[in-house]
Amino acid sequence: MADHEATAHHHEHHPEDPQAHATRRAILQAAIGVSAGAAVLSTLWVGAGLVPREEKIPSKEPVAVGDTLVFATGPKADQEITLDDLRAAQRERIPFIIAFPKSPENVVKKDLITNTIMVILADPAKMSPETRQYASPEGVLAYSAVCKHLGCTVSQWQNDTWLCPCHGGRYDIYNQAKVVGGPVPAPVPQLPVKVEGGKVVVAGEFLGKPGADV
Amino acid sequence: MYQWLDDRLSIGKLYAKAFRKAFPVHHSFFLGEITLFSFVTLVLTGIFLTLNYEPSIRPVSGSLSGGQEVPAAYYSILYIDSLPFGAVIRSLHHWAAHIMIAAAFLHMLRIHLTGAYKNPRELNWIVGVFLLVLAIITAFTGYALPFDNYALTATKIGYEIGAAAPWVGKLLSNILFAGELSPTNTQTIPRLFPIHVLWLPLALMGLIGAHLAIMIKQKHTQPKYAEKVAPGKIVGVPLFPQQAAMMGILFLVYIAVTTFIAGAFLAHPVQAFGPPTANTPPVKPDWYFMWIYGILQIIPANWRFEFLGATFGPQFWGGILVPTVIILGALAIPFLDYSKEKQRYLELPSQHPFRTSFVVGMLMFYIMSTLAGYKVDLGLSNGLLWVLVFIVPIVTGVVCYIIMKAIYGKDWNQEPEIKLIGKGSAADD
Repeated sequence: MADHEATAHHHEHHPEDPQAHATRRAILQAAIGVSAGAAVLSTLWVGAGLVPREEKIPSKEPVAVGDTLVFATGPKADQEITLDDLRAAQRERIPFIIAFPKSPENVVKKDLITNTIMVILADPAKMSPETRQYASPEGVLAYSAVCKHLGCTVSQWQNDTWLCPCHGGRYDIYNQAKVVGGPVPAPVPQLPVKVEGGKVVVAGEFLGKPGADV
Repeated sequence: MYQWLDDRLSIGKLYAKAFRKAFPVHHSFFLGEITLFSFVTLVLTGIFLTLNYEPSIRPVSGSLSGGQEVPAAYYSILYIDSLPFGAVIRSLHHWAAHIMIAAAFLHMLRIHLTGAYKNPRELNWIVGVFLLVLAIITAFTGYALPFDNYALTATKIGYEIGAAAPWVGKLLSNILFAGELSPTNTQTIPRLFPIHVLWLPLALMGLIGAHLAIMIKQKHTQPKYAEKVAPGKIVGVPLFPQQAAMMGILFLVYIAVTTFIAGAFLAHPVQAFGPPTANTPPVKPDWYFMWIYGILQIIPANWRFEFLGATFGPQFWGGILVPTVIILGALAIPFLDYSKEKQRYLELPSQHPFRTSFVVGMLMFYIMSTLAGYKVDLGLSNGLLWVLVFIVPIVTGVVCYIIMKAIYGKDWNQEPEIKLIGKGSAADD
């Protein structure tokens, strides 16, 4: 009993060396800091697994010179667009056709959303000189169909302008898709095309970056 | 039987403690309950939908799609619609989501107008703001699940708005949608599905639990008359049986009305929209996003600059900055309008002209920016809409303030509680 009291006494009167206390606290704090940091880092490392892996597949390749254009929708989907198709569309007052590029290896590159293209047969006399330069002599004209605003497909035609139905963006297709209305930040890039063997063929890269400009 | 259960679970004690909890009575107090009922309805109808839904876009064809190859997710919606009452259940899920957001908003409005967010209830106001935001996000993640052309286009706009957040936007959008949102991305639906049906509902349940637990702990605010009837006490009906009966009846009425709406107005006809194509249909967002959509339409395209590799453009101002500022503002309200004394009783909106006018002005802002969402349809000019969206709410607020001060000015400068005890009748009865 006495012994016990003495021990207790002993403790009270001889507090730990403050230096040792400080060292121990520093070590503990460092340990907590390091493990918290490691936990955060490893969580981020695991979380990075949520970012989808980019797959390199032929149907996701961007438009390339030499690709032909095919119907993106409708009963003729995946079939090559010919000059006759465009003439028929013009006669039936279908203003333009939404298209995808098809590589010479016969892969339709429909899995890359910025590959959505509008193609139209227009009067070359109406086009501005720069526009005409990248259109075919017959008047086949192509643009990226992905609205620069928020990425909808520009799919309507109203009062002789090309209209995005989502937020009312309007483009003047005779003048390098200059923006003539709506909240659109920039024109959609033109795609140089030519006609070869009756088919519409890509003759150059997009004249700008296709896709929503956010 | 009762004795047997009581021996084991001490129901008697529970009854005395919990079931006799007093509920102050006011019809506007049911708005929170309606929000809760909507959530319950969403979970119940959601269970039915998940059991019949295939979260995949593998191509399938069958009699329901007329032999045409369509994504499995789209096909399973056709299948659900072909089940007995299937279309009604799906429609009920859709309308309950709208009602939940509307009721939560009105509930919040009631709290705001009566000052019920004040000390000590700041915490529950914050939980409530997060609940509303989370409910809207949950609704948004359900948009794309039917995988029809309309749904995908509408979701795509959300994708691009998310991607407009500086530096991290593209990454966050890609994580949420498992890459670019496109008709052929096979990973999007398997990712959105668990987010919509499991993780966000779990988070909602957790927050709802916290919201109710805090409310039970802190007790309701009460209408002013309670102070005169029994100062310092909660005046109301007990949870069981009176309040429970009212809630039960309200729930049944809720189910009846929403089921009627769901049956009469079938929501989102996927068959009419068709499976996704490269073509975009004209889309409009749901009403609770319409104000953002409206602001997006009136911000000029050339309001943009680059900073450290990030683009700050109209999508960022309208789609991200404005909503974020409004949410942060909502979170700050209990701290801007802080009362040292604990708030036990509801305040009359008429006695707080500034706050009430502010709320009216904000409502006008939502209405006007929603109107801007119909810019193309109504052929309104940008200049006019700027006036409507930014000037009209301010004018409304100021006019409202002047009118309120003129009408209630006499009461307004006095301490309402003293006056009520002293005079005791007119204003609040």
